[in-house]
Amino acid sequence: MTTEAAARGRWQVVWPYAGALAIALALLAALVAMLGGDAAQALAGLVRSSLGSGAGLGQTFNKTTPLLLGSLAVILGLRGGVFNIGVDGQIYAGAVAATGAAFLLSTGPKGAVLPVVLLAGLAGGAVWGSLPGVLRARLGVSEIFVTVMLNFVAVFLVEYLSTGPWNDPTAGEAITRAIPPQATLPYLWPRAGAHAGILLALAAAAGVWWLLFRTVFGYELRAAGDNPSAALLGGVPVRRAVGLALVASGALAGLAGAVEVSGFHYRLILGLSPGYGMMAILIAVLSRRHPVLAVPAAMGFAALLVGTDSLQRSVGLPASAVFVVQAVVLLVLLATEGVRRGAP
Amino acid sequence: MSWELFLDPSLLRLAVAMSVPLVLASAGELLMERSGLLNVAIEGMVTLGAAAAFLASFAAGSTGLGLLAAALSGVVVAAVFAHYAVAWRQEQVTVGLTLYVLCLGLSSLLYRVVVGVRLTPPRVETLQPVVLPVVGRLPVVGEVLFHQHALVYLSAAVVAVVHLVLFRTSLGLRLRAAGENPVAADTVGVDVFRLRRASAAAGGALVGLAGASLPFTLTGTFTEGIAGGRGWIALMLVIFGRWTPVGAAAGALLFAYVEALQFKLAMVSRAVPPQFLQMLPYAFAVTVLVRAYRGARAPEALGKPYHREARA
Repeated sequence: MTTEAAARGRWQVVWPYAGALAIALALLAALVAMLGGDAAQALAGLVRSSLGSGAGLGQTFNKTTPLLLGSLAVILGLRGGVFNIGVDGQIYAGAVAATGAAFLLSTGPKGAVLPVVLLAGLAGGAVWGSLPGVLRARLGVSEIFVTVMLNFVAVFLVEYLSTGPWNDPTAGEAITRAIPPQATLPYLWPRAGAHAGILLALAAAAGVWWLLFRTVFGYELRAAGDNPSAALLGGVPVRRAVGLALVASGALAGLAGAVEVSGFHYRLILGLSPGYGMMAILIAVLSRRHPVLAVPAAMGFAALLVGTDSLQRSVGLPASAVFVVQAVVLLVLLATEGVRRGAP
Repeated sequence: MSWELFLDPSLLRLAVAMSVPLVLASAGELLMERSGLLNVAIEGMVTLGAAAAFLASFAAGSTGLGLLAAALSGVVVAAVFAHYAVAWRQEQVTVGLTLYVLCLGLSSLLYRVVVGVRLTPPRVETLQPVVLPVVGRLPVVGEVLFHQHALVYLSAAVVAVVHLVLFRTSLGLRLRAAGENPVAADTVGVDVFRLRRASAAAGGALVGLAGASLPFTLTGTFTEGIAGGRGWIALMLVIFGRWTPVGAAAGALLFAYVEALQFKLAMVSRAVPPQFLQMLPYAFAVTVLVRAYRGARAPEALGKPYHREARA
């Protein structure tokens, strides 16, 4: 390929993303105008509050953490040809396990408590991912349904714990008591309020990349996802690879739950995940199932989340509007791809 | 606690009423899947249908308009889905999940724009039971089956019509052919693309109506989580019913029974925390699913885009 053609090829990949982003911002401006706000001012505020200030950037980093971990969880599944729609449930399962560990170890030294709390989160998510994993591997049951159903089970479990045994009686809400200080994640950038979770998420992105492209397991998983029958003929243990991918996927989401508890809320709350799992699916598709590309995609979604949060306060834009904008971004992208494919 | 509780006529009557969203949504999904389209957006479409029904009824004061709005919302989303899946041959689960997220966001957004922020959520009129003549006077059976609101009777009719169309008409035969072997169907002159789009639209209308049944028969209000997984369960019911409308409807009754039972148990038992009872239908779904998968065979071309020029 000549350099000119290569440049054109790169441009062809980039312009749909730029177009989708422009359409999303225009949509957001239209929504703000519809609700009686000043669209130009709102968009400026959106950028300022998410990327244009230290505190905003800190918030964006904090939101990037669960979104990136969640999308890595989805990517791991997608590479093996399975859809993990249960990231939200696994986040909650990880958060429950992390909170429980923090309460149990309330007297331990900091150096030991925090790692155990994070590992408990990983384990909680892995347990939540293992049921769909086992059912898929052993009985061929679609992971889509099992993961979704477990989302509901996890939410009710959190509701029970946060209003029942772990409830903070002074709060009067579905909130648990605070975890002990030894179990909290340190700040990375204290002035901006950014905790160290982003480092864990970035390390996880590198880890998933390594797992997928540099290990036998990753090779087998990708083979299972690309062409299961060919992989099976080639001697790949397809079912085991896919089942394990769901367990690992759950563990990553569980870590996100643990980080939300120990780095951000310092307790278990019912609304811990405002749909991170759903956004994670969109991010995974947007980043073309690539763990490294998921980093900027997750950060973009996080900035949008933080920015629309400020619009929620200023013009009363509902929190759900961010779902519309994010989904439209992906629909535009899928449409441009579709148009290029030509007639059926 | 006595065992009579489990066969209490009022419980069975509630179960029949609660089966409506599941019956309608699974019938709609089944129509699409039989033609080869796997639409996983239906949880979102049920939510959007509920929002459309609630808002139309709230703004215009008419339940009929609410039903129409809900059906239309389903048709529009299904048409978009079909365009991505049929014309652009995009991965159907990906498009479905994206539309699912879009529908959830859109529902709350529309609610916020139309209703605004209020201290107490507004309510719309719910459907009243219609006692059918003659059969309504039967002991027990009359109370359970024929003291119901109109959507119960409608959903029974929908199951019958979908069954007859699929298995007793040439249109149904062509539709199933498009879902089993689109290449062969195309060869003998079946318009696979048009059939898939049409079945998506028809199925979408049913899924939208399933959404409408939630505010109109169960809640009277709209909340973000109103669908409560019913769309996903409907998707499972299609497998449970082996892609037949009667089988899916039977499964819907079973699930609705467990759902209704959970309400009853919560009233009777104070020992078990309510959240564990609320988990029951979802845990039950997973258990049933494991059995449903044994020997299940989906339409051969389900979820696969049809490309005329591609080699088989």
